[in-house]
Amino acid sequence: MASDIIARWRFNLRRRPVMLAALTVLAIVFFLAVTGLSQVHQAQRRAIGERWFSRGIADLNAKRFAVAVTDFRAALLYSPDDYSYQLNLAEALIGEGQRGQALAYLINLWEREPENGIVNLELARIAAQQGQTNDAIRYYHNAVYAVWPADRDTMRRDARLELIELLLRIGAKPQAQGELIALEEGVGPDPDQQERVGGLFLRADDYEHALSAFSTVLKSDRHNAAALAGAGYAAFALGRYPEGRHYLQAAIAANPDDTTSQERLKTTQLVLQMDPFRRQIPIAERDRIVVQAFQTAGERLRNCKLPTGTTSAGSVTPSLSDKWERLNPQITEARLRRNPDLVETAMDLVFRIEHEASAACGSPTGADLALLLISNMHEGS
Amino acid sequence: MEQEPNGERMLVENANARSQSIWIQGYSPRTLWRSVFREDRLFLILSVFIGVFAGLAVVCFRFAIDWARLYLLGTGVALTPARMLLAPALAGLLIAVLVIHFFPAARGSGVNQTKAALYIFNGNIPFKTAVGKFITSALAIGSGHSLGPEDPSLQIGACIASALGREMRLERDRMRLIAPVGAAAGLAAAFNAPISAVLFVIEEVIGRWTAGILGSVVLSAVSSVVVMRWFLGSESLFRIPPVELKRPAELIAYATLGVIGGLASVAFASGIAWLRPICKALPRWTQYLQPALAGLLIGIIGVLGAPQVMGAGYEYIDQAMHGQFTWEFLAILAGLKILATMLSFVSGTPGGMFAPTLFVGAMLGAAVGGAQHALLPHLSGSAGTYALVGMGVLFAGFLRAPMTSVFMVLEVSGNYSIIVPVIVANTFAYVISRALQPTPIFDLLTHQDGLQLPSMEEQREENILRVEDAMQPVEGPVLDAEKTLEDAMKMLDHSEIEQLLVRLSPAGWGSVSKEQLLTMANRGNGTTTLGALLPITPVPYLHPDHPLETALRYVDRWPLVPVVNRADFRKLEGVVTQRDVLERYREFGEG
Repeated sequence: MASDIIARWRFNLRRRPVMLAALTVLAIVFFLAVTGLSQVHQAQRRAIGERWFSRGIADLNAKRFAVAVTDFRAALLYSPDDYSYQLNLAEALIGEGQRGQALAYLINLWEREPENGIVNLELARIAAQQGQTNDAIRYYHNAVYAVWPADRDTMRRDARLELIELLLRIGAKPQAQGELIALEEGVGPDPDQQERVGGLFLRADDYEHALSAFSTVLKSDRHNAAALAGAGYAAFALGRYPEGRHYLQAAIAANPDDTTSQERLKTTQLVLQMDPFRRQIPIAERDRIVVQAFQTAGERLRNCKLPTGTTSAGSVTPSLSDKWERLNPQITEARLRRNPDLVETAMDLVFRIEHEASAACGSPTGADLALLLISNMHEGS
Repeated sequence: MEQEPNGERMLVENANARSQSIWIQGYSPRTLWRSVFREDRLFLILSVFIGVFAGLAVVCFRFAIDWARLYLLGTGVALTPARMLLAPALAGLLIAVLVIHFFPAARGSGVNQTKAALYIFNGNIPFKTAVGKFITSALAIGSGHSLGPEDPSLQIGACIASALGREMRLERDRMRLIAPVGAAAGLAAAFNAPISAVLFVIEEVIGRWTAGILGSVVLSAVSSVVVMRWFLGSESLFRIPPVELKRPAELIAYATLGVIGGLASVAFASGIAWLRPICKALPRWTQYLQPALAGLLIGIIGVLGAPQVMGAGYEYIDQAMHGQFTWEFLAILAGLKILATMLSFVSGTPGGMFAPTLFVGAMLGAAVGGAQHALLPHLSGSAGTYALVGMGVLFAGFLRAPMTSVFMVLEVSGNYSIIVPVIVANTFAYVISRALQPTPIFDLLTHQDGLQLPSMEEQREENILRVEDAMQPVEGPVLDAEKTLEDAMKMLDHSEIEQLLVRLSPAGWGSVSKEQLLTMANRGNGTTTLGALLPITPVPYLHPDHPLETALRYVDRWPLVPVVNRADFRKLEGVVTQRDVLERYREFGEG
């Protein structure tokens, strides 16, 4: 009995090492066999995936988004982690209007490569469309400084332009101005880009930079109607009316259908004509302008019923009428000639009336607008 | 694990000391050689080999499923109606022939077969079963039957382990345990989740935690996952979306998901329980047609607009997680998948239920998440989070593996912030499923097959009798070894107790009968201390929390076994006798 046990024990001891060695050899052999099989399998899957991907690209280029989605999904069956398959699927999904699904893929891609420009730009667009402004701005900034596979400068510039458009849409003008200044440095002298930048500067209320951008355009094409109109508007907004008149006249000459510039030119000319404080103006002319301005203000006061009892800038509105009525007999060309101090008094009242009426009855037009602009011009000086 | 009682602890210490002395004194290559090939160490080495072979087999199995799908259903995602109808039906016919004539043991999911190997066949599973399971399951899943690869992988792993164990001529106890070791390896490789695989095998196949088996199971699972990742990469089966719990109030939605998941689990299990015996009772010749008919019906579901239910469906789980379906469609998909899986499974087509369970859970979860998002957009998190939780819910409700269900979600998502929703939802699902479907699905299938395998759920929830349930308060005096025989006799004057406990100094317990004391007194030893008079063999002692079966080891040899406090071994909590133990077992048996 004991000898049997010993014999079995010895047998096992001899057998087991041999068995383990055999298992090791077998494991290596199987491992190599499965490696071969795996390579065949992977090559086949890769080939099928590539085939579906090529079809998808063709469909995407032809804007057959639904088919492209199916193609890319099929491609992803064979290479589920392929970055480019997922990115193209996301773009096809966006094309098909399935932004939610696209977003899921894009977020996944972003986590893998947060510095990818295309992914950041697409995420920014989706976030902007979904009203998630902060996310959109963050992704746009990422896109501006991201890695782009080709034509890096153009892609970055376009991303920044989209960001500026978004900032202007949400009324973040100071931020937009900052981005525009950064953009302008990268744009160079290209007239088309300068014209676009000038337009954006105008929308961002940065008239100085706008005028500079349009001037650059006009250096290469001095008959560019849009640039002339833009420059005219910028000069007008800056209070540089003679310069504005020059650009606006040229703009209308280049494009007679430009009604906005025509209106703006009319106002510019009124400002230039109705300003009694302009240099080297003859005394008689000045007095005539003051009398005309005083009457225009009186007319405005009569047409704009200022609410009784309301106060504005510390004065009770009815008193403006009283003041105007009291001063009216004195505002004649003869009296103004005798008493030049009356010019200041009369024009001060005119400006106050135009400001009050503008606040109570809305933006004026024509001569009233011109007086208001003259007032602003002299307040600033 | 229970702490060894005093007597055994001493024996173990002695054994360790002996083995240590052998090691130190007799260290030699021969000793080392013997030591390495000791049964327990060999078992660990073998576990690694099992893991490697199971991993390789599962990789090949995945390739086979892939190729079957490519050639039977085509390469694209938009399947043609002809292929959707013909592929599963014709594959079903071939599978039926193979299963009936060549591989009868390949039928079913594989979990119960592995349990049967453990409890009935001493760990033996014919290797032919693995071959059959491999071929028929790959054909079934690849052709679009609504089944998954995990349970077959589990069985293939168990078969490989069993074959290796047989070749190594392992002892019977080890041989019994080797099938679960292989099962864990197979499941871990198929699911790319070693922790969940280990837990599932412990929870659902072995049913108990023992240090001996745990090491082997973990080793095999880890080595199989390493092999699988070597070939297939470490990516999860689906892309995991950002997981979040927006507000604690969202837990109400997860509880709702748990309730819905619990009800869906009951419907799923009841459907299988009702339909399977009907199919089995049909004439034998119909068994050739059942898988084909099931395949045809699944194909019809696909043609009618839900091809997502065909096959394992992992790519659609991925899409559901990323909000690519409407919640209404997700709910429909969940229902259709239950139907399709029921058809495939009851027809006897080999294949697993893990993947369909995950599919149904993910669809239900995403549907609940989607509906909640439509109703309360600011309250709900992403659909992906709900889909992930949903998978755990069905795992808990349908497969009734509550612990695995929680860890599976954590392991797959790699995010522990999801643990609270998972626990809340799974608890609801598990409780509802238990209440409405008392017998778990695996036990139900075993009963239908005429087997009586132990129910893991019953084992988990079994009441354990402890020493404190049988112990009695100490009657009569407890003697101290320092006391003289005269003092002891005085204390016994008015007592009718026959057997007394003696508190030994400095520690330990002894026992003496009244008769022995009288004999010693008659010999004139009255002034001698009891410690000097009593034989030195100490009485083993127990603690109140020891299992009652531990007491059985001692009560036949010692008429009175002391039960002492764990903090103070000299403090007596009670005593236990053979009669007390047997009485307690009798009462327990009577319910």
